[in-house]
Amino acid sequence: MSLDMPMTEIETWYSVSQFYTREARHLDDLEFDKWIGCMEKDVRYWMPIVSNRIGRDIGTELTRLGELAHFEDDFESLSNRVKRLATGRAWAETPPGRTNHMVSNVELLGEKDGLTKARSQFLIYRSHLETDQEIFSGTRIDRLRPDPDTGWKIAERTIILDHAVLTQKSLGIFF
Amino acid sequence: MLDTQSSHFSHLVDLTKGELNRSIFSDPAIYERELKQIFARCWLFLGHVTQLPNENDFFTAYMGEDPVIVTRHSDGKIGAFLNMCRHRGNRVCRADSGNQRTFTCPFHGWTFGNTGELKVVPGYKQVYHEELDMEAHGLIPVARIDDYKGMIFATFDKNAPSLDEYLGDMAWYLDMAVDRRDNGIEFLPGVHKWRIKCNWKFPVDNFIGDSYHGPVSHGSAWESGFEGMPRRKKGYGYEGFQVNAGNGHGFGARWAENEEQVYEMVLPEFLGYEKERFPETHARLGDLRGMHLSPMHCSIFPNFSMLWQSGNMRVWHPRGVSNTEGWSWCFVDKKASQEHRDLVRIHDLQRHGTSGTWEQDDVDNWVQSTMSSRGYVGRQVKQNLSMGVNHEIDDPKSIHPDFRGRIAGFQNEINQRNLYAQWGRMMDGESPVVPGANA
Repeated sequence: MSLDMPMTEIETWYSVSQFYTREARHLDDLEFDKWIGCMEKDVRYWMPIVSNRIGRDIGTELTRLGELAHFEDDFESLSNRVKRLATGRAWAETPPGRTNHMVSNVELLGEKDGLTKARSQFLIYRSHLETDQEIFSGTRIDRLRPDPDTGWKIAERTIILDHAVLTQKSLGIFF
Repeated sequence: MLDTQSSHFSHLVDLTKGELNRSIFSDPAIYERELKQIFARCWLFLGHVTQLPNENDFFTAYMGEDPVIVTRHSDGKIGAFLNMCRHRGNRVCRADSGNQRTFTCPFHGWTFGNTGELKVVPGYKQVYHEELDMEAHGLIPVARIDDYKGMIFATFDKNAPSLDEYLGDMAWYLDMAVDRRDNGIEFLPGVHKWRIKCNWKFPVDNFIGDSYHGPVSHGSAWESGFEGMPRRKKGYGYEGFQVNAGNGHGFGARWAENEEQVYEMVLPEFLGYEKERFPETHARLGDLRGMHLSPMHCSIFPNFSMLWQSGNMRVWHPRGVSNTEGWSWCFVDKKASQEHRDLVRIHDLQRHGTSGTWEQDDVDNWVQSTMSSRGYVGRQVKQNLSMGVNHEIDDPKSIHPDFRGRIAGFQNEINQRNLYAQWGRMMDGESPVVPGANA
């Protein structure tokens, strides 16, 4: 592929998929500094809350921006979350949990203002301490900016967790 | 297992030594009795009136393990009912919130109005031969429902004292959260809900009076950019009081000598708002509540807790003897600007609730304290609540004439001792309001 030629859609798809695999590996291998390196400095990392609705309220299950969310972070607060893990006294992760981030169903949803929109599904298994087992399942919708070092950087990530009442003891991991 | 029929639960709590029998965290028979004696008799927090702005709005909640629907009727009144069809017990409402005039059971189609009455039974003529007593088969209402300045509580006990009596002096202190400004507070849409494998009393204990665990449990969050309020200031900032308001309710607060110190305890991003609201709060609540006390943590018996400065309220729903479901809301003053609302919301959710950098470090403590109460040998060892047991402040009014209830220094387990004393009284069948019964 010539460098001055735009990527074909399949090349972009492959590149985004590889980026997600690498990002997941950073999380599973506890390489949080490298994971933070996948984020743009103006990133918005947001996980709204899902609830059960019926009838004409179907379609309004997610809280909106400005309402309560599970995560509403920027680069600084995400970096602080990572910094906390490195103190050795972040007890939820001391000793650290063992996670397996599985990312699939990567789908490109178009490009706007130099950002590529991508949707993916995740299934994360987490084992902690003796017998604690947690499964997190959901959807991510990202806006990605091409980056010469990491392939892509995440400018915006919306995470939709499938759980209305979390059976996991906390959201102490990243998605 | 203990004999749960005899009246001896108060004896599991030794107030003079500050010791507690650990089986109260692990014995299934005790848990069963809690559902009856505590959760079916106390006033329980359901939510805030701002969650029901319109006619026919509703949300679902729990009272103990009993699911309820809380509705605003067409006459504006708020009611609550067991979310249980009178036919087979199915839930008549499977949504967490919405707007409906009626609730139709998905099993056989019995339909109830949002005031509880049974309106439609399919085949009423053909298969019930018009013999079913429709009036007697409405949704089961709570015995009493009331609100304190917008905070909705209900009880299943028709003999319960009034909400005002039940809250007692705690209502007066609650004004520091719900009545700081004109028009009070509102809840932001969205509830964090999550399960913790702990006995429900551990988080209540933690929130009512455990100012001791902060530096160890939450040190990592504090020093990584998730500082809390009021900030610690050497010299005076570490000072403050645990206040026991009676009936098992209590809170902890730092102490500011003057207005200047109020501002010094606030995080920089909140300073502008504090300066804006201080004159109004001070005028409404006076010196003690409007200036000296900067409240931090609280629990209202049995399972409501609050983090005042973070704009966070929650309940701890029991889910079996070693399982708890936390529900956490974010509240703001109604008069707060959009800018301040954004700051409070982000402050709250980055520290408390599901992804909270403070909250997540509490969880395994509560889980492991619960697990240790299950081993036979461990259960024989008393839980220690002795901190400052002989060091309560004899005359709170010597500190400030407006003080109500009993007080002790900021690091003192007075509130935990009184929480379990109330637990023992309720388990023994006494009224939740016992004048002068505080330890």
